[in-house]
Amino acid sequence: MLSVSGIRKAFPGVQALAGVDLEVRAGEIHALVGENGAGKSTLTRIIAGVERPDAGEIRLNQEVVQWHGPAQAKAAGIHVIYQEFVLFPHLTVAENIFLGRMPHNRLGFIDHAQAERRSREILSRLGITMDVRRQVRLLSVADQQMVEIAKALVETPKVLILDEPTAVIAGREVDLLFDRLRRLQEAGVAIIYISHRLDEIFALCDRLTVIKDGQWIATRPVAGMTRDTLITLMVGRDLAHLFPAHERPPPAQPEIVLQAQDIHVGSRVRGCSLDLRAGVITGLAGMVGSGRSELAMAIFGGLPMERGAVTVGGHTFRRITPGQAIALGIGFVTEDRKGQGLAMLQTVGANISAANLDSVRRGIMRDGAREWQIAEEDIGSYQIACRGPGTLVSTMSGGNQQKVLIARWARACHRVLILDEPTRGVDVGARAEIYRIMRGLAARGIAILMISSELPEIVGMSDRVYVMREGSITGFLEKDAITEEAVVDLATHDRQAA
Amino acid sequence: MSVTTIAPSPRAPARRIPEQVLRLGIVVILIAVIIVLGCVVSDRFGTMNNLLNVYEQSTDLALVALGQTLTILTGGIDLSVGSMISLLSVLTSGLINSNGDLVLPVCAGVLLLGMIIGLVNGIGIVVLRVHPLIVTLGTGAMLQGLALLYTMEPAGGVPDGFDFLAYGRVADISVGASIVLVVYLLASFLMRRTATGRHIYAIGDDRHAAVLLGLPVRRLTVLVYTLSGLLCAMTAIYLVARFGSGQPYAGANYTLASVTPVVVGGTMLSGGRGGVIGTLLGAYLIAILNDFLNFLHVSTEIQLVVQGLIIMLAVSAYHEGKKG
Repeated sequence: MLSVSGIRKAFPGVQALAGVDLEVRAGEIHALVGENGAGKSTLTRIIAGVERPDAGEIRLNQEVVQWHGPAQAKAAGIHVIYQEFVLFPHLTVAENIFLGRMPHNRLGFIDHAQAERRSREILSRLGITMDVRRQVRLLSVADQQMVEIAKALVETPKVLILDEPTAVIAGREVDLLFDRLRRLQEAGVAIIYISHRLDEIFALCDRLTVIKDGQWIATRPVAGMTRDTLITLMVGRDLAHLFPAHERPPPAQPEIVLQAQDIHVGSRVRGCSLDLRAGVITGLAGMVGSGRSELAMAIFGGLPMERGAVTVGGHTFRRITPGQAIALGIGFVTEDRKGQGLAMLQTVGANISAANLDSVRRGIMRDGAREWQIAEEDIGSYQIACRGPGTLVSTMSGGNQQKVLIARWARACHRVLILDEPTRGVDVGARAEIYRIMRGLAARGIAILMISSELPEIVGMSDRVYVMREGSITGFLEKDAITEEAVVDLATHDRQAA
Repeated sequence: MSVTTIAPSPRAPARRIPEQVLRLGIVVILIAVIIVLGCVVSDRFGTMNNLLNVYEQSTDLALVALGQTLTILTGGIDLSVGSMISLLSVLTSGLINSNGDLVLPVCAGVLLLGMIIGLVNGIGIVVLRVHPLIVTLGTGAMLQGLALLYTMEPAGGVPDGFDFLAYGRVADISVGASIVLVVYLLASFLMRRTATGRHIYAIGDDRHAAVLLGLPVRRLTVLVYTLSGLLCAMTAIYLVARFGSGQPYAGANYTLASVTPVVVGGTMLSGGRGGVIGTLLGAYLIAILNDFLNFLHVSTEIQLVVQGLIIMLAVSAYHEGKKG
């Protein structure tokens, strides 16, 4: 039904795809697997007509097609459920489901009643009853995902691509989704299923294609594969290499450096407590939107807490500002590198010294030579690939930008370093570097809080893990108890045992 | 077992309609409050005669604010409206130059020119990929320059009877204002019941998502600025009718003024939320407020200050509402 071959795509600083082949048959559920940054989402966007490939061809029903925008791909029967929702928060559920193909009456005006009736029908096939006149922003994340799925069921597509559809849903909803997908499969739809959850791939898919660093690695039937062979294909090496060992064993009785108690931030964080310990990497796991970033932001003072307290360095704060936090030796590497972290149009040197201007000051003047020297040290010790301290950050790859950001905070903080999704959008080589840097900082006695959506990262790096779900901490795991299964369980299910 | 893992939203089921009605309700209540206050100040304020005058005086503001509502709903803004009105008004009276035969062709040409200017704005925004604020600020400056190049003082004139557009009344009710009212009702219907209307909301709500969905984002962006240009041309002709000639600074105040009814009427500057009926009520509110201030003998300068205050209050009030 759909085949792509030799697809290449470069973005400034990154070769996102370097020759990817993928072939999906009608009536097949085909898994597309690979690590974050392997190029799955870019490939999806190319098939959907959002991006144009630099080279390679797409064939639909044997015919070579070239998209000039997503509308064309859509008209040809390609439907994509993106990981980032394509939803309009202030439109209603029914409008979101039908936007772009609203049913209309004989005069050409939108027939809202019909759209609402059909929306209810489609949602009920997914086992959901909801008020289809509600604005989508008022729905839970899980319901928003179901609305996103419902959009695919309005007309039977020829090709359906699902990018991590189960990231925010669980249990019965997943079962119902799979049930629907199998019916679409019977109806002859070619389905591409992207997921990090290997169990799902084994339960649902017929064949799978592995891509890694933008390259095609293998296409195989799922039957006969094991978890281990799949992981080896995906990672291409032992995970042990990716996650470096401790430089020295974490202290047996680590000192509590920071304690957060009963933090409340609006409806996003509802009474969370945690503590961070010197020389220990503490993971904060959970689904996107579970309140992890907000909790960390509140601890750093970036968001006001409505209730709760943070104790650090012998002081207890009911209110804390980022300035105070920095003065106390807390650093924060944000999830949004470009928006909140780096000054993109400034040099590496200026970015590294941005959070510790005191150290590059002489009187009231900036000491450019000292700044240069510090930057050169860090470029060396973190192996930041750039031409020197004067390089503009905007010209560097994501991984190296992230290293700049970490270098900044590693200099500024001496107690706690919070890293929010430290390896998002970072290639595998740079990831290993970042992990090594984190281990090094921990060995220096800094308490690290690492927020991550990637289970292997949580499992591979953390000495202890807190798991959040819908604004609450649903569990705490330590040492050998940290497994992917345990984390997923705490992150997705209602807390019943507890 | 977990039957459902869907977390019920903690707030009571809030539907779209009540929220909208609530917003409009606030404006209606404010209008009522001013009428009551006005009646206390002067026994002439509450008369049908005065209220009909206010209705008539809302025309220009309502016209230009309709186009502004559309651009703001897409998440943009048109800052060239004031200069556009200035230029088009001097062209209208200057070219007609009191010659009755030229009224129709010139008016048609001015309407067309307004659309062309708007079209250029829209194309500039989608081609240059520059924020509408910057693009229209730039074209606005150019248009004001052109207006001053054309004339430094009131230009030409219009034949007798042209002022019917501004002052014409049937059964004591302003014709112009009533046409505007009908246009608004039509626009409101179209925004709700056509795909184009819903898409305009969608673009303002989440532009990126609209692109991913394959909506004609660029075409609609051009469309709303073209319509804004058309409505500016109508406003310009209306002002010529009202004052008898076009002036090179006739539109100067309208850039700010056109935004006021939009935000007062509950349309968010961030786009995607609000609606044209709110803007119409907002225009009525501003008109009656200005009338009230006139009754209090407050100068027009101070009226501007009051308008600025209202924008700030409206934006912050609705912003608070959003958080709650």
